[in-house]
Amino acid sequence: MNTNVVGSRVIREDAWGKVFGQSKFPADVNLPDQLYGVVVRSPYPHARVRNIVTEKALELAGVVTVLTAKDVPHNSHGVLFRDQPVLADYVRMVGDPVAVVGAETMEIARAAAKLVEIDYEVLPAVFDAEQAMLPEALPLHPELKPTNVLYHMPIRRGTMEDGWALADVVIENEYNTQHVDHAFLQPEAVLAYVDERGHMVVQTATQYAHYDRGEIAHALGLRFSQVQVKTLAVGGAFGGREDISLQIIAALLALTTLRPVKMENTREESFYSHSKRHPMRMYYKTGATKDGKLVAMEAKIVGDAGAYASWSINVLRKSAVHATGPYVIPNVSIDSFAVFTNNPYAGAMRGFGAAQTVLAYESQMDLLAKALGISALEIRLLNHFKVGSTTATGQVLTGSIPLDQCLAKIAPYLQKGDGIL
Amino acid sequence: MMDIKLMVNNKPYTLNIEPSERLLDVLRTRLGLMGTKEGCGEGECGACTVIVDGKTVNSCLVLAAQANGSEITTIEGVGNRRKPHPVQKAFVEVGAVQCGFCTPGMVLSAKNLLDKKSKPSDDEISVAMSGNLCRCTGYDKILRAVKLASQEGN
Repeated sequence: MNTNVVGSRVIREDAWGKVFGQSKFPADVNLPDQLYGVVVRSPYPHARVRNIVTEKALELAGVVTVLTAKDVPHNSHGVLFRDQPVLADYVRMVGDPVAVVGAETMEIARAAAKLVEIDYEVLPAVFDAEQAMLPEALPLHPELKPTNVLYHMPIRRGTMEDGWALADVVIENEYNTQHVDHAFLQPEAVLAYVDERGHMVVQTATQYAHYDRGEIAHALGLRFSQVQVKTLAVGGAFGGREDISLQIIAALLALTTLRPVKMENTREESFYSHSKRHPMRMYYKTGATKDGKLVAMEAKIVGDAGAYASWSINVLRKSAVHATGPYVIPNVSIDSFAVFTNNPYAGAMRGFGAAQTVLAYESQMDLLAKALGISALEIRLLNHFKVGSTTATGQVLTGSIPLDQCLAKIAPYLQKGDGIL
Repeated sequence: MMDIKLMVNNKPYTLNIEPSERLLDVLRTRLGLMGTKEGCGEGECGACTVIVDGKTVNSCLVLAAQANGSEITTIEGVGNRRKPHPVQKAFVEVGAVQCGFCTPGMVLSAKNLLDKKSKPSDDEISVAMSGNLCRCTGYDKILRAVKLASQEGN
C-alpha cells in the first residue's frame, strides 16, 4: 500500500494554532451575559443529604440560582451504568457534586458556594476493596449489584495441580499499586448555552463527545437531536475525560436560567472530580522448572473501582487478560475483581488496567530468575510469546511478535549495569 | 480600584483594576489575550508564563498592580503565520506540540532564553524550561526543539 502519511514525518495540523496561542480551549470561549457556575462538593465519603438550605447563598447580590438533586430531571449518568448522580442526594465519595451555584461573576459564585448549607447524615465508609468485598459490607449500589463486587473475571487454563507438580521453584508475593491522577494540564471547563433553535450547545474538552451528548440529553430530558456537543482543543486527557465532569451541570444551569453558562474547575476541583487510575492489590504465585520454563501461575487481582463503575469492568477485564504478561504459561488460574468502595471513582487511564499488572508479573520474573540463578534476560527469552503461542485466554497469536528482537536490542544496555542482569 | 499602565506586546494600555486582580486575569479577561493559560493557579505548571521586563514569570502569581509600568510579552506578541519565531517553527517541525496547553508558556520560556543566550548548552536549556510542565510529550522533543531553534536562530 502506498501512502504519503504512514512512515513519513507529518506536521500535525493544529500545531501552528497552538504555538501562536490561538487554539481555543474551553476556558478561552465566552459569551455575552454568561453566568458562572460553581459546584458545591461533598466533604464526606459516604453520606445521605438530609437537607439543603440555599437562602443565604441566594441572598448574596449577583447570585441567580442554586440547583440541587431535585432540579435534575433524570439524575444519573455513567459510561457503562448510569450509577453516578448529576447532583447527589446520596454521596458515595468525597467530591461528589451536591449543588451548583449560578452567579453573575466567578467570584460571587465561589463566595455563594460557601454559603450553601448542607445537612449530611454521615454514614460508615469503606476504603479498602477487600473489606468492601466481605459479605457483611454495606453495598454501595444495591440497585445495580447486591454486593460491592461489580465484576469478576475468571480465567482458567490447563490444570493447576499438574503445573505446581512440575514447578521446581515457586515465588509467591503481594503487590499493590496506588491511585494515580491523569493531571492533564488543562482543568475541566465548559460553555453551555441554548441556541436560536432552542437546542442545548455544550462546548467542552472531551474524549467522548457523542456519549456526552447522550448523557446530557438523558439527564435533562431532551431529545438526542436537541443537544450538540462541540469538542474544543483538549488540553490533555489520558482517559480522564471519558466520563462526564461539568457538562451536564453546566447544561442544567443554562436550561434553567436560559443564559449562557461558563464553568471552570480549579486544579483542586479537577483533582476532586474526575476519575483515577485503579489501585490494585495483586496476589501472585508463579512456578518455573529448574530450566527456567514457566509452568504455573495463580493470580488474584482486586481493583478498587471507588464510588462509581465508570469503565471498571473493562479495566479489570484487561488486567486479567494481561495478568501473565507476554509469557507462555500452560497452567493458569486468574481471578480479577472490580469492587465498589468510598474512594474516588476509578476509570480509564493510559494502559486501561494493563499497566498495574506489569509490576506484579515482571517482579515475579526477576525473583524467579534470581531463585534459579539465571539472568533476568534469560528467563524472559525462555518464556516470551512468539508467533503460534497460546495466551492464558486461549488466543493463538498469529501476528508479528518481535519480542526476541526487542530483547536482543536492549540486552547490551541491560548488561552494562551492576551485573544483576 | 486603581489605575495601572502596561505595555503589552508593544501596545500601551491604561487600565482601571481591582488591587486583587492577577496579571493572568488582566491579560485574559480585560485584554482578551487567551493564549496565556491557567493550569494550576499556584505557580507549579508554567502554563501562564509571560515575559515581564525580560524575565519569565508565572502570571498567576503576579498581581497586575505589581506589573505597573512594565513591558510584557505574551504569546500573541511572538511570531505569526507569515513570520513564525524560530522557537515556534522548531516546536512544529520537531513535533514538540501535542495537546498544546503548555505550548505558549514553553515557547515564551524558550524565546526568553535564546534572547539572552543564543547558543545555550543542553543544561542551560533544561534549566530554562524547568518551570514549564508538560503532561503529553515527556519533554524530549521540547528540549530538542529549543536546541534546533538555537541552531537555526542566527
